[in-house]
Amino acid sequence: MNLIISPVILYLLSAFLIALLWKEYEKLSGIACLSFSILSLISVILLGKYVFLNERIVYYVGGWEIPIGITLMVDALSYIFLFVLNFILPLICWFSLSYMEKYTKAGYFYVLFSLISAGLNGILISMDFFNIYVFLEISSIASYILVAFGLRTEELEASLKYTILGFIGSTIILIAIGLIFGKTGTLNIADFTYIAKNINEIQLWFIIGFFISGFALKTALFPFHFWLPDAHSLAPSPVSAILSGLFIKVTGFYLLLRIITNIFTMFPESKIIILGLGLISMIFGSLMALDQTDIKRTYAYSSISQIGYCALALGIGGYYGYLGAILHFIFHSFSKSLLFLNSGAIEYRYKTTKIDELKGLQDKMPYTTMTASSGMLSISGVPPFGCFWSKIIIIISAIKAHYFGIAFICVVVSIITLGYFLKLQRNIFYSKDEFKTINEVNYNLLMPMIILSILISLSGLIFLPNLKIYIDKAVNVMENFKYAQIMEK
Amino acid sequence: MIIFIAIAIMFFVGIYGMMVKKNIIKMIIGLNIVGYAVNLFFIALGYKEDGIAPIIIPGMEIKEFVEKSVNPLPQALVLTSIVIDLSVICFLAALSIRIYEKYGSFDLEKIRRLKG
Repeated sequence: MNLIISPVILYLLSAFLIALLWKEYEKLSGIACLSFSILSLISVILLGKYVFLNERIVYYVGGWEIPIGITLMVDALSYIFLFVLNFILPLICWFSLSYMEKYTKAGYFYVLFSLISAGLNGILISMDFFNIYVFLEISSIASYILVAFGLRTEELEASLKYTILGFIGSTIILIAIGLIFGKTGTLNIADFTYIAKNINEIQLWFIIGFFISGFALKTALFPFHFWLPDAHSLAPSPVSAILSGLFIKVTGFYLLLRIITNIFTMFPESKIIILGLGLISMIFGSLMALDQTDIKRTYAYSSISQIGYCALALGIGGYYGYLGAILHFIFHSFSKSLLFLNSGAIEYRYKTTKIDELKGLQDKMPYTTMTASSGMLSISGVPPFGCFWSKIIIIISAIKAHYFGIAFICVVVSIITLGYFLKLQRNIFYSKDEFKTINEVNYNLLMPMIILSILISLSGLIFLPNLKIYIDKAVNVMENFKYAQIMEK
Repeated sequence: MIIFIAIAIMFFVGIYGMMVKKNIIKMIIGLNIVGYAVNLFFIALGYKEDGIAPIIIPGMEIKEFVEKSVNPLPQALVLTSIVIDLSVICFLAALSIRIYEKYGSFDLEKIRRLKG
């Protein structure tokens, strides 16, 4: 089925065409990038029918069979990630059309945007360790450059820090891949899991240790988090929305999830490590977010805290744990992308994101205020907005697994989250300021935010039986699927 | 076995350069050494004692070729990996030029503004 490679091909084509032909024409390159991303969304929607009919689609690149060639695969789990990714990317691109006007050479922005999207799509469809590494690096290098896109001094420094740590993370992952290749002589994930039954356990623990530390660095779980607040808060706002909403989840969380649940199925103990890391980063991120003076830094620390929830749910495991992890991924992607786009809209009018300098946005930018409120309430876990549903499922899963302390901490962290977002709301949106005259932002900036906030408000609909089937199929993949099944057929 | 120990030493020398040195250029050199260590690790995985290049010359028997030749896959992987390292290092070099323009220094002590 050729639809499986179409998102990667379309985004790569967009990157090359814009770089070769249209990079001088900023409007044209933006519209070209937007149309390619919409085409990619359409191809993913068409792909859905085949994925859910056949359980999974396996594509052999060049017709080479499994141990020899590169193999691509989409199943229900990666399809949900693909769908969320390809749904949010066109909205961010639409937002960038107006936002990027203040930067010179905006044509290059769309080139890098397409490359980062191609890399993220590639990670989701790939079933080969080295191929995953290559796509990881395509998207990572594009993101290093995008963080420094504004060329202000702080951005350069944040990008330097991010590049060095990102490179270390990638190197650790590459060493793990090298160990796998040296031990088994194969790079295909299905083939590796088939062979891995006969390998000494201590050597496998070594490999999984490298993988967990590498991907934890990419996900910014607690001891590896310190690059994230700088990189995510100083990048241009659409880039922050990609990085915080999608990038850390696809390059880190998705691969961690695959490693824990599908590839190294023989070590259920490794979940405890993820649970611990998730718990600490959840508490730490929310406490740090309380005391920030910049909106985007607050959002960045909040990302650390919320990715902690995802990791915690993954660590608890079981049906409810996995369901909570997937739902929290979906809703947090929507909410955090919305919030970062929102901070971009504020920055577009006020030229700053410092909390002290912003006042009384309720009267001046009513739609921005409304969308910001829905995103903040969603992340704090207020019904009926998105993250309420996922958080309550995570708490249920903790209680079912008899982790009563963890369930209590989840509730407390959720209250702290509500605390720092209410502080932001009171200071920025619902305060009085008569001095500045500022208008609402234009249509291009507003529409993506409104679409995202409507989706967040309606997110309870995901529990309708017609939609929940698809989520259940993804959870089923996490619980029961082993890559070795592909080899046994 | 000696080569793997050498690779480990090389790797930690690179990590030392990246973590301890305060000069950006020295950090980039450390990063480069780490990249080379990992590439060498891959090459060493495919190495055979007295191996030949994995190219079939006319008149060579397939069985003999399979026994003698080194594994070509790691070499292909290392080519990709070298390109990735190259692009990261190019970007870091360009970044350090920009940082020098802003601060007039490569010293990280003078550059630090962010809290982290």
